[in-house]
Amino acid sequence: MSTPTRHRGGEFRPGDRSDVPVRPSGGGRLFYYVTVRVTGLILAVLVLGHFAVTHITTDVAETGSDFIARRWGSALWLLWDWAMLTAAMLHGAAGVWIAIEDYTPDPEKRRRRQRLLVSASTLLFVLGLIVIVAAIF
Amino acid sequence: MTLAQALFVVALAGVLVAVVGFGFVMVSAAARSGGGSYLSTGLLRRLQRSPEERAEFNRWAFYAHRFTGFAVFAFLCLHIVDISLYTFAPGAFDEVHVLYGWTSMRIFECGLLFAILFHTFNGLRILAIDFADLGSRASRGLLTGAVVLTVLLGLGGSAVIMAPVFA
Repeated sequence: MSTPTRHRGGEFRPGDRSDVPVRPSGGGRLFYYVTVRVTGLILAVLVLGHFAVTHITTDVAETGSDFIARRWGSALWLLWDWAMLTAAMLHGAAGVWIAIEDYTPDPEKRRRRQRLLVSASTLLFVLGLIVIVAAIF
Repeated sequence: MTLAQALFVVALAGVLVAVVGFGFVMVSAAARSGGGSYLSTGLLRRLQRSPEERAEFNRWAFYAHRFTGFAVFAFLCLHIVDISLYTFAPGAFDEVHVLYGWTSMRIFECGLLFAILFHTFNGLRILAIDFADLGSRASRGLLTGAVVLTVLLGLGGSAVIMAPVFA
């Protein structure tokens, strides 16, 4: 464990401790910030709506394949679920990305874990996309 | 129990293990690089301080936000797979879907609801802090609001989810 070095002003700065990884700065950070907040705002509506429809207005036991077939007969719900899938995967993967960055000081390990995260999230996103596209036809 | 149902239960157990494991990583990292474990040491003493000196609630909100976010995302990964059965194996989809109506699964869904609600309201609080440039007093007030809303809507929603079990 490294001892934090103090700057003249007395405050801590990124990089003061060797065991806490420094986050890169630059344009990527702004893109990250905006993506997380925009998708988060969208998800606040879509996910609470989704949960309300599948658990509150309809009992969860009644939400089998008949329910899905009926719901996906409407373009609005297909659009809803596509938007929710896209926003949720972006938002979730972005969140776990930054958690990996915080908890993996070794840069080699960090890159490997983040690659794994991106691969797995992309795979699941494509799987969900196939299901939604298949429901259109 | 059919094979599809057994696989779903195993996968859900895997999700829960991942969530608990993530919580462990979070707590130990906080203890290592954040100055100590906040839950045990002098908690009651700190809570008796004046609100101005209780900024630690923001830190707790951060940990709760990260933890609930990971939990919801972990379940979402499983949820995409079980919904994909609808397209690729309709029979297996209906078998797995029956599990969602079980009492134990309903209890899990109540927990999921609480996680989603807190993550949503605290997330909106973060947006408000950033865009309205709120100070510490206002953000603390919003945190109280987020927790109250989570508890109220969570209890109400849980009552609806669990109602068929007691009917």
